[in-house]
Amino acid sequence: MLDDKKDDIFLSRWINDELSPEELREFQSHPEYKYYMKIITGADALDLRDYNIDMALDTIKTKNDHVQDKTTKPIIKLWPYAAAAASIAIIIGLFIFTSTDTTFTTAHGEQLAVLLPDGSEMILNAKSDASFNKKNWDSNRTVSLHGEAYFKVKKGSKFTVTTTNGNVSVLGTQFNVQSQGSYFEAVCYEGKVKVTHNKDSKVLTAGKAYRNIKNVTPEYWTFTDQEPSWIHNISSFRSVPLYYVFNKLEQQYNINIETNGIDTAVIYTGTFPNNNKEVALKTVFSTLGIQYQISEDNKTVVLEK
Amino acid sequence: MSENKNSTCNEKVFDNFFKSHAKLLRNYLYYKFGDLDQAEDLVQESFIKLWNNCAKVPIDKAKSYIYTLATNQGISIARHQQVKFRYENYITQRKSDLTNETPEFIILEKEYMEKLKNAIADLPERQREVFLLSRIDKKTYREIAELSNVSIKAIEKLMHKALVTLRKKIGNI
Repeated sequence: MLDDKKDDIFLSRWINDELSPEELREFQSHPEYKYYMKIITGADALDLRDYNIDMALDTIKTKNDHVQDKTTKPIIKLWPYAAAAASIAIIIGLFIFTSTDTTFTTAHGEQLAVLLPDGSEMILNAKSDASFNKKNWDSNRTVSLHGEAYFKVKKGSKFTVTTTNGNVSVLGTQFNVQSQGSYFEAVCYEGKVKVTHNKDSKVLTAGKAYRNIKNVTPEYWTFTDQEPSWIHNISSFRSVPLYYVFNKLEQQYNINIETNGIDTAVIYTGTFPNNNKEVALKTVFSTLGIQYQISEDNKTVVLEK
Repeated sequence: MSENKNSTCNEKVFDNFFKSHAKLLRNYLYYKFGDLDQAEDLVQESFIKLWNNCAKVPIDKAKSYIYTLATNQGISIARHQQVKFRYENYITQRKSDLTNETPEFIILEKEYMEKLKNAIADLPERQREVFLLSRIDKKTYREIAELSNVSIKAIEKLMHKALVTLRKKIGNI
């Protein structure tokens, strides 16, 4: 039986209840029996992640419409016959592509939720702008971003956020990107994202974050939050130089902070609300032991040592 | 003609076909290539292609059409990136009433189950495919043989081998 080289389907027959009573009795008294029994009991307790068949079918149907859209434009395929016509097509194409870039901009203290063509979501934080190309979104999901935004990405082709500091491309679903001046931060809330900065490239899994600030060594850390705090109108900072905190205050409240020689390279950890200027200023400056005055037009905050 | 009751282009026929085949195809591709997300993408792509070519593919040929399409696509992806069989977040456990057990037993079980999943992930592709189709999808040897176009005997041999390999890998716990 088990040790018999000729019976190379013995265990298959056993699982299928095809052993004769004698064979079964003999196997049951074999020392190996209990180990095999445990494997089968364990394996039978395994299951796969659920598969939502209706949702999968829906996705196929929506993708299908796109394909059919494309097939209704066969004229373009006939054009390459004439070189001149082709070049006109290219010029028109360029015109269409460049002119269909959609741009969203937020002002001081504003937030904007944008629904991208494939149903992905982008929430822009204050004083940020993002643009993307609606026309070829299906084949090229790229958003160019200045500022900060939180993304919830639908499954599909590669999704990339380009910034002047680096790129974040998505392999999974929910992440936050912040790129201001030379400050670059990517935080992954769900799935996986790939961050490239200069020549560095790193994959972040859920609960991991990456930050690169000029003159500070790049940092990785882990966290447990489910969403960026600014979604709930709170700006939070984790060991960042003070001038970035001031920057954020200025963006949120449309103010100008005069530092008067205060050392803004000090590292700051803390939060402030995005919907209450008095409280925000008080929280930041009182923890730092800094006195301040607000100008009459409410636009300038002067710090005193 | 595309509105024919038995045509693949008939939406009802297509939907029913999808509902009765998509899940097994997805599982099959996962066992073969080791990535469940990728498997779901492959299912999606192959069914989209089927729909676009519905006039050319009669419904009784559709099954082998999607299996061939998805498998070839999977192979060409696998050629470029060697994926190790992944089971975290993919393989779960059926709900059972383990609540009566002592904590020691549950811990032991957890350890054992991890070891088992690990051993399954390390199985050669064909053995893993047969083993999981049989244990998770509860397919008979005949059904598995039809899926991969080999004899029932070959499946029985693979199943036997898979068990022996697992037994060696897990050891005496």
